[in-house]
Amino acid sequence: MKSKALTAAISVVLGAGVMAQSVTVEFWHTFGDPKRGGWIQAKADAFNKANPNIKVVPTFKGSYPDILQAATLAARQGKPPALVQMYEIGSQFALDSGIFQPVGGIGTLDTSDYIKPVLNYYTINGKVNSIPFNSSSPVLYYNKDLMTKAGLDPNKPPMTYGELTAACAKVAAANLGVKCFGVSLNGWFFEQWMAQQGALLANNSNGRKGRATEVLLTSEPAKKIVSWLKDMNDKGYYTYTGKLEDWDGSDAIFTDAKVVFHITSTADIVNIGDAAKKTGFQMGVGMLPIADGVKRNGVVIGGASLWISKGIPKEQAEAARDFALFMTGTENMAEWHKLTGYYPVRVSAVEVLRKEGWLKEDAPQLVAFNQLLQTTPNEATAGALIGPFQQVRRIVEEAIQKVFSGTSVDAALTEAKTKADAALKEYNASVK
Amino acid sequence: MDNLAVFKNRWLALLMLLPTLVVLGVFLYYPALETLRLSLYRANFVFQTETFVGLSQFRQLLTDPSYYQSLLQTVIFCALVVALGLAFGLSLAILVNQPIRGAAVYRSLLLYPYALSPAIAGTLWLFMFNPEVGLVNNILRSLFGIAPRWLDNPILAFGLVTFAAVWKNLGYNLAFYIAALQNLPGELLEAAALDGATPWQRFRHVILPLLSPITFFLIFVNLTYAIFDTFSLVDILTAGGPTLGKTGITTFLIYRVYQDGFQNFQTGFAAAQAILMLAMVGAITALQFRAGRGINYGA
Amino acid sequence: MARRAVQTALIHLTLIVVVLLVGFPLLFALIKATQTGAAVNSANVIPSTHLWDNLVSAWNGAKLGLYIRNSFVVAVGITVLKVITSSLAAMVLVYFRIPAKSLLFTLILLTLMLPTDLLVVALFDLVNKLGWANTYQAVIVPFAASATGIFLLRQHFMNIPGSLLDAARIDGAGPFRFLLSVLVPLSWNTIGALTLIQFIYGWEQYLWPLIIIRDSSHQVIQVGLKSLIGQASGQTDWGMVMAGTLVAILPPVIMFTLLGRQFSKGFVLSESK
Repeated sequence: MKSKALTAAISVVLGAGVMAQSVTVEFWHTFGDPKRGGWIQAKADAFNKANPNIKVVPTFKGSYPDILQAATLAARQGKPPALVQMYEIGSQFALDSGIFQPVGGIGTLDTSDYIKPVLNYYTINGKVNSIPFNSSSPVLYYNKDLMTKAGLDPNKPPMTYGELTAACAKVAAANLGVKCFGVSLNGWFFEQWMAQQGALLANNSNGRKGRATEVLLTSEPAKKIVSWLKDMNDKGYYTYTGKLEDWDGSDAIFTDAKVVFHITSTADIVNIGDAAKKTGFQMGVGMLPIADGVKRNGVVIGGASLWISKGIPKEQAEAARDFALFMTGTENMAEWHKLTGYYPVRVSAVEVLRKEGWLKEDAPQLVAFNQLLQTTPNEATAGALIGPFQQVRRIVEEAIQKVFSGTSVDAALTEAKTKADAALKEYNASVK
Repeated sequence: MDNLAVFKNRWLALLMLLPTLVVLGVFLYYPALETLRLSLYRANFVFQTETFVGLSQFRQLLTDPSYYQSLLQTVIFCALVVALGLAFGLSLAILVNQPIRGAAVYRSLLLYPYALSPAIAGTLWLFMFNPEVGLVNNILRSLFGIAPRWLDNPILAFGLVTFAAVWKNLGYNLAFYIAALQNLPGELLEAAALDGATPWQRFRHVILPLLSPITFFLIFVNLTYAIFDTFSLVDILTAGGPTLGKTGITTFLIYRVYQDGFQNFQTGFAAAQAILMLAMVGAITALQFRAGRGINYGA
Repeated sequence: MARRAVQTALIHLTLIVVVLLVGFPLLFALIKATQTGAAVNSANVIPSTHLWDNLVSAWNGAKLGLYIRNSFVVAVGITVLKVITSSLAAMVLVYFRIPAKSLLFTLILLTLMLPTDLLVVALFDLVNKLGWANTYQAVIVPFAASATGIFLLRQHFMNIPGSLLDAARIDGAGPFRFLLSVLVPLSWNTIGALTLIQFIYGWEQYLWPLIIIRDSSHQVIQVGLKSLIGQASGQTDWGMVMAGTLVAILPPVIMFTLLGRQFSKGFVLSESK
């Protein structure tokens, strides 16, 4: 093992010495805002300075589906970008597109520093496919001032469906003119709640032991989730903007202090925290409330990872990998976390943050940390590999909306399963 | 008409027509044929896979109740957008065309939504109509104590999308009607007034018929707009929702095409839908031209 | 007299109300462009102080300056080509004696029913094969011809009195002389109107550039703007998006102002003599 590493190291050094001309690494990402996009550019600049024969060119390319489409089109034109940021649910599709190569196959990759559940998600068929970059999971944000006004203890956020429902009863009784609980109607949360119950979303071990052919939407855990949401909606405790996947709309409801409890990604801790301060209320962060009577199983990592294109010269692939590792290295990940709220997915980065006192007892980020670190790495929390994931997510969301407007949970979920399975069948038939 | 055709140099004529014919042939007709071919295959554009499936995708569409629901929704939406667009456009054009000061200013101010990109137009409306923290409901709540669920009440969401679409295209209709009104033959109107016709009678029996060519043209343009160009607006404002029956109430035909073509990457299936849409639009256009044959375009 | 005054006042009142209603979203965008952070997606309509910052972000950080330049190239390119090809084709259809004229005109008109947006996948393959991916010509040439333009110019030409034609013929003018010194000067209004419509059409291009242009050096404004609207949570700087919107709307509005009069005079669809 050691001699292999030594050989690899020597060949890299030799190779680097032989490389006279510069290698360009195009990096396509989804961060169009100056804060995050600017950070990425700064990292590229630093890397380019330290590696004069490599030129990393980060480009903001739009949303994840835009990037997927653009990358595949570019590959077909014979000019794929070396490094691509791809969201987690696009993993099966990215694999099937055949335009990427597993990162773990480029030289040797040291994965010992990564947090286990995160690595789990991105390891497919025993190989590490992509390097985790911006990772997140859902947490519960709450308005401490409103909680106090409703007679709730602002230091004891609800941890289960039952506790949340009870808290909402108190909020309703207090007649504060606000709704109790909000979350964007997004299938992501449904998937998280499934994993929390240790339930599989797709067959064949969540699509990891074999291609998924069924989406398990009619299981008991699935029904539990949707029944609870229906209950919250029927009782008038739940609110959302009405549009599916309207993250920002739901965020706005919380930051405008019109809802007491709000569930969304931990990646928004900084933004929401700032907004809460501006509006003038105290914000708290708690773990994702889970179904009653189940042991807390943990969360599926969300966010995106860095994929390397196939069919590019070896030096380019290695340069891309090196930049990816640099950008997601210990110091940089700690910095990224402080800037945005995304997880630092390296154990060493967590250590650095702890040493800096960043994760004091009451730091809101600590909740998300503990939630991830306490996740049991198993098939459920490894996350599902589904080809037409976006489509399936939409089907789930529409089912929940139908339940809100009166369809029974069983009927809606049965119909959803039929649709999802059909989508899977169609997808599987179109793969080479 | 024939007495105008004075030049006889056929080669020159061909040369002058060539750019148009080549561009239209290569960049419109050819891709249309290719789309027709694609509609017979289960194809995934990204994976570059193609399997011949014949007419089965058409069969799938024509036996799918949710497709018919989308079709019905599209028809209602288009009818409303055309009717309201023309009605508002004409009314405003008449107002702005009055001999008042600042008419040009009013006109400019009313034209600008046309220049907004549909995505941005959708975003503005989305922010304003957020049921909890949006401006509109804030006003409604303080004035009347109501806060309608604009985005998940199916009727309200449909109405919202319709109005946003009409609003965005208002400038276009307005500009054309103003132009048409300013080009009306003054003598005819004066003659009618002298005959003792009331303003309303003048409008109904003189102005309206004189406007029929432009109305005809605008019906066609607004129809095309409603069918094909409203995708971004709907995507941002309601994402095709809320769900009612078999599909979202604002899931119009073009939305399905984009969803299936560019989000689900079912290229052949989307091509089949595109072909069906082209056939429908073709039929409507043919009907329209037949009905409009009586309209005098001059010469 | 008084009745007139009341009538005029009523018209003004109605128009003001309508303008406020129709124009409100723009006013909203203007106010929002001055805000930042979470205030943008809220009911807050108190103008704040971040307009300059947002504009700078949009122009530099989001490269809107570059996109606007590209959109100009595209819009002007499309407009110029459409006017030229439409004028030539309309002239042939009206003033030349050739066979199958109706058939040709019908074939041209039929393309009004072939919207590019539905054909992008097939178009991509074709343009890719031509080696034009990611170039200006890829977003200009497919739109170089215009059935609308041909329709309108043909209408206009047919309305030009035959006497002018005879005069030119007596002069012995050839087709091009005729086009440039007789037809064009008589058609400025129609051409102006056509220019306005086609410029805005070119400016609004979204789906096709999204597919065929892969790097920002050639990307256009609508794609650039829309791509700022992130899909996932909190990825959008809405203040910047609003500021960008205001900038992106300026060129079409300026065109409207410049060509508004031509537009009004350029659409004579019936015999108005």
